[in-house]
Amino acid sequence: MTNLTAWLEGTALATWVREDPSIWAYPTILTLHTVGLGIVVGASAVVDLRLLGYGRKLRVGALAPLFPIMAWAFALNTLSGILLFIADAVHKSGQWIFYVKLLSIFAALWVTFATRRIVLDHANLSAPDVVPANGTRLALWSAVLWCVAITAGRLMAYIGVP
Amino acid sequence: MDALVAWLQATSLSKAIVFSLWVWPLAETLHFIGLTLLIGIVGFFDLRLMGFFRRVSLEGAHDLVPVAIAGFGLNLLTGIIFFVGHPEQYVHNVGWWWKVGCLVVAGANAGVFEMTIGKQTMALGPNADTSMAAKAIGLVSLVAWFGVLYFGRMLPFIGDAY
Repeated sequence: MTNLTAWLEGTALATWVREDPSIWAYPTILTLHTVGLGIVVGASAVVDLRLLGYGRKLRVGALAPLFPIMAWAFALNTLSGILLFIADAVHKSGQWIFYVKLLSIFAALWVTFATRRIVLDHANLSAPDVVPANGTRLALWSAVLWCVAITAGRLMAYIGVP
Repeated sequence: MDALVAWLQATSLSKAIVFSLWVWPLAETLHFIGLTLLIGIVGFFDLRLMGFFRRVSLEGAHDLVPVAIAGFGLNLLTGIIFFVGHPEQYVHNVGWWWKVGCLVVAGANAGVFEMTIGKQTMALGPNADTSMAAKAIGLVSLVAWFGVLYFGRMLPFIGDAY
């Protein structure tokens, strides 16, 4: 494991991310990671709030176009996240809080797919706009899991730092 | 400005913020959660103002704005904590002034919207196109809020105040 992470850190790409003084290297990648986070979690928050009963004038099915946007922003964060990881792979792979972050993201992703199913089931906007019982539960799980992911991500700068 | 910095640094509140192990990480985490609420909800409304998501009710999207304002309040509070803790990091940083500038533009833009075309725009039915003025206000809002996020995250890398 350490061999792999040490090799990752030593690659030209990882070295560039970590050591290039250009604003386009580490600073921009980190900022894109925050932009993507804002879009993914922010769009999720809109859907979750509606499923929890806020903004009832919004048709649930009308929220469908948010999901492709979330998918693109999630792709941006997967890419920027991989770059940030390889730049500091030995250290980050040894941080338990990093695994909390990864697990909560996978769980939140699973919840988001289930939420998307509900929204797509409401594609016919002239049908009654009833949120199924599990909609509330999914929305709460989504909010909790994304908050855990953000907290764990932020704490990576503080917990288990040499 | 330097007198303000020196005075703030001498306050016991500033010292408490800096010496505490958990205040800064907690405030940062809340600052990130607040930003997702703000960017997600305001961005969603801005895109509808710009003419995207036609099936989304303008009134319904606007009904979520109080939650975005709550996110903003959280970020104002945690932002003040950062500023009181380390005022010298901010007042001498050109990136911070750009962030404040974007905030002023975003706030004034939202104020203009609410005081001028807000009511008539919200009265538009689903599928209705928005006016050119509404589209312009939506675009300014979107750019200004992402500017706030961009300069906020770039703070440590712009200028040499850190």
